[in-house]
Amino acid sequence: MSFLDHLIIMPILLPLGAAALTLLFDDTRREIKAGINFAATILLVAVAIALLMQTDAVTREGTELTVTYQLGNWPAPFGIVLVADRLSAIMVLLAGILGINALIYSMARWQAAGPHFHMLFQMLLMGLNGAFLTGDLFNLFVFFEVMLAASYGLLLHGSGVLRVRAGLHYIAINLAASSLFLIGVSLIYGVTGTLNMADLALRIPHVPANDLGLLHAGAAILGIAFLVKAGMWPLNFWLPTTYAAASAPVAGLFAIMTKVGVYIVLRLTLLLFGEHAGASFGFGQTFLMIGGLATIAFGTVGVLASQSTGRLAGYSVLVSSGTLLAAIGMGDRAVTGGLLFYLVSSTLTISAFLMLVELIERARVAGADVLAVTMEAYGEDDEELEHEEEVGVVIPSTMAILGVCFALCGLLLSGVPPFSGFISKFAMLSAVLQSEDAASPIPASTWWLIGLLIISGLASLIAMTRTGIATFWATLEGQTPSVRVIEIAPIAILIALCLGLTVAGGPVLRFMDLAADALHTPTDYIEDIIGTTPAAHAGGAS
Amino acid sequence: MSSEVLLTVLIVLPFLSSLVAGSLPANARNAEVWLAGAVALIGLAITMSFYPDVTGGDVVRYEIPWLPSAGLNLVIRMDGFAWIFSMLITGIGFLVVLYARYYMSPKDPVPRFFAFFLAFMGAMLGVVTSGNIIQLVVFWELTSVTSFLLIGYWYHNANARDGARMALTVTAIGGLALLVAMLLVGHVIGSYDLDAVLASGDTLREHTLYTTILVLMLLGAFTKSAQFPFQFWLPRAMAAPTPVSAYLHSATMVKAGVFLLVRFWPVMAGTEEWFWIVSSAGLITLVMGAYAAIFQQDLKGLLAYSTISHLGLITTLLGMGTPLAAVAAIFHIVNHATFKASLFMAAGIIDHESGTRDLRRLSGLFKYMPFTGTLAIIASAAMAGVPLLNGFISKEMFFTETAIRNPNMFANLALPIGAIIAGIFSVAYALRFVCGVFFGPPPTDLEKVPHEPPSLMRIPIEVLVLICLIVGIIPGIAIGPYLATAVVAVLGQDTPHYSLSIWHGFNLPLLMSIGALVGGVILYIMLRPYLALGVEGPPLMRRLVGQRIFERILVTISWKWAKSLERWAGTRRLQPQLFLLVLICVVTAWFALRPGFGPVKLQLSGWDPGFVILWLVGIFCAIAAAHQAKYHRLASLVLMSGAGLVTCMTFVWFSAPDLAVTQLLVEIVTTVLILLGLRWLPKRFQKGDADHIALPTKLRRYRDIVLGVFAGGGVAALSYAIMTRTAVPDGISRFFLERAYTEGGGTNVINVMLVDFRGFDTFGEIAVLGIVAITVFALLRRFRPAAESVEKPEQQRIQNAYDNLRPNRQSGDTVNEYLMIPSVIMQWMFPVIIVLSAYIFLRGHDLPGGGFAAGITMSIGFILQYMAGGTRWVEDRLRILPVKWIGTGLLIALATGLGAWAFGYPFLTMAFQYAELPIIGKVPMAAALFFDLGVFVLVVGATVLILIALAHQSVRSPKAARSSVLPTHAVEPPPPPTLETSTVEAPGGAS
Repeated sequence: MSFLDHLIIMPILLPLGAAALTLLFDDTRREIKAGINFAATILLVAVAIALLMQTDAVTREGTELTVTYQLGNWPAPFGIVLVADRLSAIMVLLAGILGINALIYSMARWQAAGPHFHMLFQMLLMGLNGAFLTGDLFNLFVFFEVMLAASYGLLLHGSGVLRVRAGLHYIAINLAASSLFLIGVSLIYGVTGTLNMADLALRIPHVPANDLGLLHAGAAILGIAFLVKAGMWPLNFWLPTTYAAASAPVAGLFAIMTKVGVYIVLRLTLLLFGEHAGASFGFGQTFLMIGGLATIAFGTVGVLASQSTGRLAGYSVLVSSGTLLAAIGMGDRAVTGGLLFYLVSSTLTISAFLMLVELIERARVAGADVLAVTMEAYGEDDEELEHEEEVGVVIPSTMAILGVCFALCGLLLSGVPPFSGFISKFAMLSAVLQSEDAASPIPASTWWLIGLLIISGLASLIAMTRTGIATFWATLEGQTPSVRVIEIAPIAILIALCLGLTVAGGPVLRFMDLAADALHTPTDYIEDIIGTTPAAHAGGAS
Repeated sequence: MSSEVLLTVLIVLPFLSSLVAGSLPANARNAEVWLAGAVALIGLAITMSFYPDVTGGDVVRYEIPWLPSAGLNLVIRMDGFAWIFSMLITGIGFLVVLYARYYMSPKDPVPRFFAFFLAFMGAMLGVVTSGNIIQLVVFWELTSVTSFLLIGYWYHNANARDGARMALTVTAIGGLALLVAMLLVGHVIGSYDLDAVLASGDTLREHTLYTTILVLMLLGAFTKSAQFPFQFWLPRAMAAPTPVSAYLHSATMVKAGVFLLVRFWPVMAGTEEWFWIVSSAGLITLVMGAYAAIFQQDLKGLLAYSTISHLGLITTLLGMGTPLAAVAAIFHIVNHATFKASLFMAAGIIDHESGTRDLRRLSGLFKYMPFTGTLAIIASAAMAGVPLLNGFISKEMFFTETAIRNPNMFANLALPIGAIIAGIFSVAYALRFVCGVFFGPPPTDLEKVPHEPPSLMRIPIEVLVLICLIVGIIPGIAIGPYLATAVVAVLGQDTPHYSLSIWHGFNLPLLMSIGALVGGVILYIMLRPYLALGVEGPPLMRRLVGQRIFERILVTISWKWAKSLERWAGTRRLQPQLFLLVLICVVTAWFALRPGFGPVKLQLSGWDPGFVILWLVGIFCAIAAAHQAKYHRLASLVLMSGAGLVTCMTFVWFSAPDLAVTQLLVEIVTTVLILLGLRWLPKRFQKGDADHIALPTKLRRYRDIVLGVFAGGGVAALSYAIMTRTAVPDGISRFFLERAYTEGGGTNVINVMLVDFRGFDTFGEIAVLGIVAITVFALLRRFRPAAESVEKPEQQRIQNAYDNLRPNRQSGDTVNEYLMIPSVIMQWMFPVIIVLSAYIFLRGHDLPGGGFAAGITMSIGFILQYMAGGTRWVEDRLRILPVKWIGTGLLIALATGLGAWAFGYPFLTMAFQYAELPIIGKVPMAAALFFDLGVFVLVVGATVLILIALAHQSVRSPKAARSSVLPTHAVEPPPPPTLETSTVEAPGGAS
């Protein structure tokens, strides 16, 4: 096998290696750790881009749809397989992009707020990438655990009463959800005798009718575990508090955590319960639709009711999740393309916004005294205080730059034209409407989706205007906060990517449509995984 | 240049130059003006150059692919109607730039102003030249956003902030409604292309969605054009700098709404719904706006309400649905733009030169500024509809249309009466403007002596007033062909015959005009005493302030209701969240189970009594542990280990020695670690009497118990159903049994699965273990025990007291001597445990054991050392670096997996072989062994790290005072922490 054949596993091994490496250095050598982290994350982005091109190229030739990798050289469905198609590749790239930007941001201050930040950071990336790439249900559990364990650590990073309280709530909820995950997987395995997702898709149509109940119960329980992650109402009350409590770069990276739940729900719903699934076709779709709509409504209410910008951001995450879940519930091929566009755009936006929130809060309090009080209360007496230069480069007209970023975030979040927030919503809504015959009446679910999407956008706009005016227009005497270039740069990069998505909307949407096609017609995907034969087996070879 | 390039430049240039303008230095006033003026002039020139291409209903199109798969391409489309609008936007835009040069204070940081202004101009041009209806919405919303920035330009002023916010909120609501309308149009017609839409009028009007589309579209148009009941935002928007007001009120922004109505007139108009909604909204706005304008005290307020009224006039005309009325509407759009822009500019000059816009303080200015005065008087006359001015002609066309006999009784009366009343009002407010400002006694109450502005500042007004006059006097020549171009572009073959001449003979419309003029003069004279009182706001409507109603509604919905809804539909407490999680699980699983539970064999005989008793004990332990968990943690923990032991024995019972060994070791380690942690948890005391629990609490507990029983019972039932099934015949498990030895090289299938078949899972799981250990360490490093847990345990206190009583003993002696003999034994056990661990490790591949079990065993050795000798004793003697062990373990596992690459196999492909070692004998030397070594090292590291994190609590100086007063806000990141001592694991400088 050539190096390119191993490319698909790199997004998992690279972070693990980097994480392990940072452990070999003492915490005093923070620059080395940061350097390792930075190098690994940059490499990760490069690998992700290469993978994306690989998955995109494979199909253009019409020969093969997916990139697969059989771990331990055991044939599927017996061994564990990694699978990369367009969707996985774009998710891995998204994780990498969020990672590198959050990392740059953290290098200004947050990396120093507690031990082993870099190790946990890389491990979170490993968990995310593993979850995106694995083709095995139990292996997915393992990567969920990697991701969650790292997220516990990162959420607690920085300490403090609020953070610890939110962190422990988060841990409790997620441990409960993990137990559900195990129960669900066990039930599905018990009924079908396999863990490989593609194999499952092959077996589900042949499950005897009187076994369907158990299978569906397993799928339902498993689904609940994912929906807790994705933040579906009413399983999402932990989310705004958690996101508001997390330190800024961690929150920026967490923007993709809910999307992992969405990704899995999307993948499994279409793979296991798609058109070919026989009696199980469409399982859970109505549930997702209603749950998604309720989530949008709840998120919208929360966005309006939030006094603090941090919670506003948290509720924006919910709106985004709800939109995605409801769109998955539509189960329409064309909608799925728009949905993927929305997923990428809203993740980038929310990540930027979550990091921006801290800078804005800084502009509001902008008091060294407040900072000092907290330091006084939390500083470690047995740790010597080493002062970092607070202001590297005071950006001229800091407020102007923050204001522009905030305004763009507002436009992106609320889906006001012309940026990618609008395009993605338009792509979804247009697909929803165009897929109906012009003569037949529009179903109620479509009306609800349109109405809620529009109203949620309006609510975001109102809330963002309220906050923006209070922050940037009403506080003339407010001090200019000290913001370092490496803090604002990642936010600017993320927003610039969103603008890039706007300009390159055509090719991006084409890519997403192809990804959606593959999801809705998984026969090739299944064939690729089950049909791949392992390399001549290594048993006893050396 | 080709038309494509020119069209692109027309749209793109303003946005690009906006970026340039925004990045110029704050004092680059003249550069900004040159830039903005040049852009406007270039736009004007480009527009003019298209005139030959758009006459006679011709259309120039340029299509740029954007989102072809979603039917959204950028289409720049110039027809006669777009042409005349582009002329207005660029032409008046240029005049406004010129005017702003003198209006804006030299101290004002104008780059921002001109950047917004140019972007706004670009957005307006985009709206009128959109050839795709979604693209139209895009630019439409851009005008909302950029106008928000312009209105809020002087944001230090609360009025500007509120006005900007209100304008944005109202117009954005309309814009979103418009988006839905356009999506629905696309749904009905199957295309978003404007030409396709314009060609499908019948399809649209006959479709069941017509009314929905109409209402949504009108919502967009009415909010933008400030039509009743959305008129209130416009007067608020006058907080903008006057050049902006002049622009917004004349050629742009509010005109976008009527532009939309005209654009879609051919496909949407002509139905009953259209007639009723549009004309009644227009008529109400027309009359109400004119009425309110009379009583304004602010000069700009008067003009703002007059704008509302004139837009109402245009809307009414469009609502009538006749082609002639549409012609009049288009004509009035142009006329209104010219005289309203000049009036706003005049008002700005008055404000600038006299220091106030308050009509109560202004008076007799004609003496001081005769030129400006003359210009303003002419423009006002045009506004009032005085003959020989452009306003007269379009207004007379309006009267003509209203006077046409209408089959509907209401319309037959309401339209002409409304028209004439509004005409009277408009004459009255125009008179008020002219007489109030320029005539009467000299002003007494001004801060400065008013004088004429710089002559260049007056040029824009002069140009506009000239146009008013020319059009008013020779309409056929001055505007005729251009108007015809615009009209043909809209109406196409339905273009009616119309005449633009001033004199149509002595007819009813003329009578109405004269009536309005005379009536207006009389009304003004009658109202003079009342107006002199200087009361704010129009009579009868004073209490009905649209702005306040809107704000109250907005605050109620978006804040109060949202807050209570959030509280009602959400919670921040953990318990209800977990309750919901379990509840939803139970409910969905219940529903999902409906298709069938599968064949369940409920076997009631042949149970081994020993096993039953074992399980009864286990069940008792589990339930009792839950029962005791809140107040008796130690008891609960002991009971929990009881349940754990029963699980171990169950594994043994069913011949699963691997699981049993692992479970046992894990039980031991976790119990010990939790015991160590238990010491630092504050005690909990049961408060009050169990009998006096409030009823709601009781009910809640019953509810929880019921749910708990259902959930637990449900999981038990599901497990039973799954475990008693016959295994799926073609499941994957057979594969593992068959190949463990032949291809995995081990007879212990479990171990081969762990390190080979599913080695990747193990790989992930050891990472989890490492992360958890690191997290625990990171969390506890900052942990300080609660105040009540700081004091020494009771036992130690008694022992110390005992020492203190005896003269030959030091305090602490007994503590040190405590369990001396077991301690020594434990210390001696260390090497033994190491050997045992090695043994378990090596036999792993074939017999129960393996890296994980060995690692746990090894860490038990460490735990014993810590227990026997104490933290300091151990760390003085052993160099314990668990963090590095974790890293090393991970790297060993990684390296083993990567080794396969060298041989051309995928990650974690394991080779195996048996090696003959002296003394030990035949040892399986599978590559898996190295992998297992990584597991071993990591497990030891992780367990020991957690142990250390807990153990170090006792050697740390507790900070009692601090732990009781915890700040309520989140922590800012501290400065880079400090060094931890070279052994990272000795946090807090314990050593």
